[in-house]
Amino acid sequence: MIAPASSSAVEAVHPLPAWKIWANPIWRRYVRARLRTRHLTIWLILTLVPASFLFFIIRTMAVYRADMPLADAERAPLVPLLVLQSVILFVLGTGQVAGGMTGEADEGVLDYQRLTPMTPLAKVLGYLFGLPVREYVMFLATLPYTIWALWSGQVPLTTWLPLYVVFLSSAVLYHLTGLVAGTVVKNRRWAFLLSIGIVFLLYTVIPQVSRFGLVFFKYFTLSPVFQESFANLMPETAGRALRAARAMTQGGVPLATEVRFFGLHFSEWVFTLFTQGALILTFIVMLWRRWRRAESHLLGKIWAVGLFAWTQILLLGNALPLIEPGLLFPSREIGRRLRVSVGADWKPQIEEAVGMIGLYGLVTLCLIAVLTMIITATEDEQLRGVRRMRKLGWAHLPRFSDAAGSFWFVAVMAVIGALGWTLFARGLVESSWFAGIKFPAYGGWTFALVLLGSGLGFQAMLEARGGKWPFLFGIFVGIVPAMVGAVLAAAQNPFLKASVWLAGVSPFAAPFFAAQTLIPVTIPLDVGKTIPQAFWFWQTVNGFVVAGLILQLWRVRKQRAQSVIEQGEAKEQGGRKKEEIKDVTQKC
Amino acid sequence: MPAAAIEIRDLRVDYGNFVAVSDVTLSVPAGEVFGLVGPNGAGKTSTFRVLAMLMDPTYGEVRLGGIDIFENPEAARRIMGYMPDLAPVPSDLKVWEFLDLFADAHGLGSAAARRERVDTCLEEVALSDRRNVFCKTLSRGQTQRLVLAKTLLHAPKVLILDEPASGMDPLSRRNLRLALRRLAEAGSTVFISSHILSELAEMCSSICVMNRGHLLAAGTVDEVRRLLGRAERTLTVALLERADAAADWLWNQSGVTELKRAGERLSLSFSGTHEEQAALLAGLVAQQLRITVFEEQKSTFEEILIDVAENSTPA
Repeated sequence: MIAPASSSAVEAVHPLPAWKIWANPIWRRYVRARLRTRHLTIWLILTLVPASFLFFIIRTMAVYRADMPLADAERAPLVPLLVLQSVILFVLGTGQVAGGMTGEADEGVLDYQRLTPMTPLAKVLGYLFGLPVREYVMFLATLPYTIWALWSGQVPLTTWLPLYVVFLSSAVLYHLTGLVAGTVVKNRRWAFLLSIGIVFLLYTVIPQVSRFGLVFFKYFTLSPVFQESFANLMPETAGRALRAARAMTQGGVPLATEVRFFGLHFSEWVFTLFTQGALILTFIVMLWRRWRRAESHLLGKIWAVGLFAWTQILLLGNALPLIEPGLLFPSREIGRRLRVSVGADWKPQIEEAVGMIGLYGLVTLCLIAVLTMIITATEDEQLRGVRRMRKLGWAHLPRFSDAAGSFWFVAVMAVIGALGWTLFARGLVESSWFAGIKFPAYGGWTFALVLLGSGLGFQAMLEARGGKWPFLFGIFVGIVPAMVGAVLAAAQNPFLKASVWLAGVSPFAAPFFAAQTLIPVTIPLDVGKTIPQAFWFWQTVNGFVVAGLILQLWRVRKQRAQSVIEQGEAKEQGGRKKEEIKDVTQKC
Repeated sequence: MPAAAIEIRDLRVDYGNFVAVSDVTLSVPAGEVFGLVGPNGAGKTSTFRVLAMLMDPTYGEVRLGGIDIFENPEAARRIMGYMPDLAPVPSDLKVWEFLDLFADAHGLGSAAARRERVDTCLEEVALSDRRNVFCKTLSRGQTQRLVLAKTLLHAPKVLILDEPASGMDPLSRRNLRLALRRLAEAGSTVFISSHILSELAEMCSSICVMNRGHLLAAGTVDEVRRLLGRAERTLTVALLERADAAADWLWNQSGVTELKRAGERLSLSFSGTHEEQAALLAGLVAQQLRITVFEEQKSTFEEILIDVAENSTPA
């Protein structure tokens, strides 16, 4: 017979501390389910066979074919093993986390976890370390080879410890990405693909973006620390050659072993941990919010604005100190990659700076769009908010609640973004590399116009019409004209002007047009003149469109408030209806 | 009057412009098996999901065992057990592992203590023999029983069961009924929904009826029947002879609104009180009519509820 728990018994049960992972029921659940002997044996065989093969083939070839000294030969398998470990934890682990999380929701058993009295943080950590537990075991299974190689290869602690610390923090970051993807995306397969896609982007697209002035993004990956450690992980002879080659192709500039952040200097691994830590914290906050309230936005409004401002600080902090030494410019890096000597006569071109400024603006705009999507209330949320407000007799919705409008928060982000963008542009243009060129005083206002116009237009459309319209608008006004313009430009010179006018309609092209408008760059065939004309024309049109969208948003808010009142809730309020509608609209 | 185990005040749930639960106020006394009845779309599951803290209402207050679920959700979760209508189970766990996971999550002590509790609950739902099989191998009814066992693990003071008997065979249903009674006797409060109305009527000490998001009536089964049934009752009178005279006399009595005759059998609609009904019988006897049957034809509960579902308007 099951008697109900007494009050004292209920009070006596304390929630599990989140840090006690080994006692976490969700972690234990996955240890049971994912480490069953039969499955684990198969996966261990699938791990140990390639790991053993890599270790023995490379070591044997190094000893017997390359005639390396034994200590050198022992180091040789380290990098291939690291690649295998990356595949296990970064790819398989992340996919497992995203797919497993969606699977739990799909099967319907996720609700059961919501019913337990564990703290939201304990639930997040239980899933974070529980879902990929088999991948952690597979990773551990490869470690004896790594330890042997590090020990007998006499790799210094200062090389491998930072590398593996950042390796594990990267794994946690990617697993959290998978967890967020699994929480947001309903379809298991899509969640799996999305999370793998994000990891893939981090190692392919993001490093390229980081080469164009947005240095900060590369610290989301293992790459900076790996590159720093690479020479020391290689056999001594190869490592020496690598260092010499790098020194040569960098024009005598040694491989950076520290990160400059404004006036501060950090080692690569400390800064990577710092950067990843901030993102890990943000992801944990997102998941914590979802576990606390299933319908909560991933980020609160304040946190979103704070995160945006923090990103701007990180972008600027990393980029500005690299301008004067010339390390920020992609032409230098590309020259190095193409084995072109980058000597003392190297000098960046202003066109390069204009492109970097445009890219900075585009990334800022995209970041605003992503955060706007996170913090903007849906129609349903807004209606519920207004009903709650009326029922509880509040004067207005709490400003920072999910149901409240995000318009002013997007405006604040746009202003912060414009400030960051201006500082970046001014730092770049007014550097000693481009003597005589001044960033115009109205440049900041122009950037603010671009970000406010596109950001607020996007917000207004999203809030008033839902997600479908901004998506279609993005495709048909943002991407297609830019693509068609590019095709036209590629076809014949007479089409250049037309292509500029066509591409100018795209909000994604606006940051590049703005940069080109503000900073004189010699572009042939009168295109240099056409770009400012097209920019100001389309910004004017955009201004009217955005004003229309904002008016529409106000109208929609009024209609929504009216629909709440007309649902029979305001019968007793009779003649005050009109005033109330006006009142509610103003307070949304 | 026992303290309320579940208190709902002004609860409203919206999905866009659709009102799923409209300003429901309800109090369920402790130790009751309380039924929530209503057709599909009545708002039962939305109400239960709010009580289980699985969704936010538009507004409203909910207290379980005196604990405000929005203020202190974790404390409320410790005393509440919820079983959803389509009770899923994870495919990768064995029966005992599934239960142990939640025993652990509810902090039910050491491995030995949890094992004992798991075994007790399995016994309660007659699944002890399936302890070591994978959950995915269970039949629908067995799955329901397993999820019920999970719900009972931490011996909740308040049990919220959404259609718990669906998929169960008659024997399991009887066992469920007995288990719920035992729980109520031990002090738990059970709030249960079903659209198998006769089943609820058998299980519950009190019920409430919802339709289109509105709470229409609440009370004992008889009270609700009276509240929802028409004011008029149908009376059947059978006589050995002289049905004509009986019909004439009855037609002149107050409260009789309709009269039908089929041979020596009369059927009349009567809107009077039970005292007036007794006086009616006495009058017939005083007329020296030889009566063989005098009975009130009760509408079945299903009939009343179907009528409610089709015709009710919010109170």
